[in-house]
Amino acid sequence: MAAISTASSQKDTHSFFARLKRVTKSYTFRVVIQGIVTIWLATTFTFFLIRLLPGNPISIKIDQLMQQGYTLEEAENQAATLYDFNPDQPVLEQYIVYLGKLLRGDLGESITSAGTSVSQQILRFLPWTLISVGTGLFISFSLGMLLGIMIAYWRGGLLDNVVTALASVLSGIPDYVFAILIILVAGVQLQLFNVGEMRGGVNPNIEAGFTLEYIASIIKHAFLPITTYVLATIGVWTLSMKSSTIATLGEDYINVAKARGLSEWRILTAYVGRNAMLPLVTRLAISIGFVLSGSVIVERYFEYPGLGFQLARAVGSRDYTTMQGIFLVITVAVVVSNILADLMLSWLDPRVTLEEK
Amino acid sequence: MSNVVLSVKNLSMSYLAARGRVRAVNNVSFDLHAGETLAIIGESGCGKSSLNLTLIRQLPTSAKIESGQLLYTKRDGQQLDILQLSKKGLQKFLWSEISMVFQGALNALNPVIRISDMVYDTGKAHGLSKAESRKQALDLFEKVRLDPMRVFRAYPHELSGGMRQRVLLALALLLRPQVVIMDEPTTAVDILTQRSILEVLKELRRELNFSILFISHDLAIAAEIADTIATMYAGEIVEIGPVYEVFYHPRHAYTLSLLDAAPRLSVGAEELHSIPGSPPDLIEPPAGCKFHERCRLATDICAHTVPPIEIFNGNHRVSCHHHQIVRKEREEVIQS
Repeated sequence: MAAISTASSQKDTHSFFARLKRVTKSYTFRVVIQGIVTIWLATTFTFFLIRLLPGNPISIKIDQLMQQGYTLEEAENQAATLYDFNPDQPVLEQYIVYLGKLLRGDLGESITSAGTSVSQQILRFLPWTLISVGTGLFISFSLGMLLGIMIAYWRGGLLDNVVTALASVLSGIPDYVFAILIILVAGVQLQLFNVGEMRGGVNPNIEAGFTLEYIASIIKHAFLPITTYVLATIGVWTLSMKSSTIATLGEDYINVAKARGLSEWRILTAYVGRNAMLPLVTRLAISIGFVLSGSVIVERYFEYPGLGFQLARAVGSRDYTTMQGIFLVITVAVVVSNILADLMLSWLDPRVTLEEK
Repeated sequence: MSNVVLSVKNLSMSYLAARGRVRAVNNVSFDLHAGETLAIIGESGCGKSSLNLTLIRQLPTSAKIESGQLLYTKRDGQQLDILQLSKKGLQKFLWSEISMVFQGALNALNPVIRISDMVYDTGKAHGLSKAESRKQALDLFEKVRLDPMRVFRAYPHELSGGMRQRVLLALALLLRPQVVIMDEPTTAVDILTQRSILEVLKELRRELNFSILFISHDLAIAAEIADTIATMYAGEIVEIGPVYEVFYHPRHAYTLSLLDAAPRLSVGAEELHSIPGSPPDLIEPPAGCKFHERCRLATDICAHTVPPIEIFNGNHRVSCHHHQIVRKEREEVIQS
């Protein structure tokens, strides 16, 4: 009996290690570990970096109050009662407290708006950024690919010359310049829209709900930031897709497909398009991070109530906890979009397998 | 021999380059008979691949077919000129009547879709149902000695080079064409795979009875598979005749040079003679015989006068001023 039980327990440990090995080699496991490490590193860096900014929440508030006519002593007293923040606490101690809370899923309370938790703030502002940045990227990515493939097909034609020149110019201009130009030229000078009305995420006079009026208002207000994101990113997508398509068109399998008599459409989609878009998919993940950080300035210009707008406000008042929370969201967004890009690539390209064999 | 399937008459094609017209195919004529294998040999850059792309009209836009006729006879006896086909007509014609195995099997298959999808695509373009395409393909995969079900479901990267080459062969035969053009089908694979592909090819030819236009710079392979050999130089066919005739009794100095340059087991490396120089500039080709600058037999007449076409034994066509000397030299080599 004893002998049998030892043998079976040995077998168990063996299979346990085998299973452990399989787990550590699995794609999900690798991705989760990588993601956690990335998020921890980014969190730690931002935690210390934002504390290197000159001033702290209290001193900024004191400055503000003194400008309003308070004496230094009054201002100090008021700031100390207003904010639940002790600037004299050692930074390392603050970090350990923060990390401990974070592990329990608690992002803390906003320093400058006492009583509101950071998670509440994020939940309130994140949807707006998700809608505008997500839609903007989706439009510019699909439109850019379409344009890129078209001008690669009709290389040297009028369309190619015009679009290529335009795309080169567009790709060289940063997003905040587009935001300024849209407001100044289209809004102020040409009066195409009322600048004041376009502020905010939605018309506050319309009752929130799943009504046509409310949704139309959301679309109307998101229109300007979305246009900015599209203009700022479409040039790069178009040019990348053009060069990628031209390279693909020179491949043997395209010539063979033509000789086999396949329809133009089938060649365009399954043979040219699918191969040409592969390098762009990985770049999509990287660009999500860029556009999110770009939203800080863009949302401020349009007074769009998204995370970027909120981040700009938090930086201005040195609201450490809010900044940490928003940076965390951006980090997570980049990590997640990288995973999504991996999955999409493995779906598009059979040569890419996520699981190790 | 049996009836002519493809008759090429005075075909000329050139590429437009910055310096002028590159005359890559110049006044080429030959007949391909049913069931015949014609091998076109020559160095790189002498117009073999250009000729072959001209035959199926898959040229880049910079190329222009200047003159000639490509008369093709269908199985039902109907004759047509490939050069006169409309774009749609050509699309239907290719692959169902003339198909092709391209050079470089590694890149000839779309890497992101399955072999089965490529089979279905091809069948669909020519009005074959999925079931028919599948049945045909599985049958052909069996014939080219592949594991039909595994290969059918596979992606290209899951197959070896030799397997991919055989997939391409099967794909070329999917619609039972009368002519298959093969552009160096065995250059990208190792010698053992080469062997097995040639075996498969011979077997298929016997079973399905199609004509092959075989383009190669490997003389040994050409000798093994071909019924007829055509030597191409500077865009022209300089000698064409039955395989035995051309290899044992060549009459063109260029063919002779090619044979002298080919390694054989029976002679040592010191007896190999490479041909000095490289194929001529086809924008301004040399006057007279285009080979004269590199030819060790060349005399004054070669530099001035284009050699006339002469026909020996009814089917051995040559244009060389010194065909008698060539013939005599070769005879001595064979006797020694």
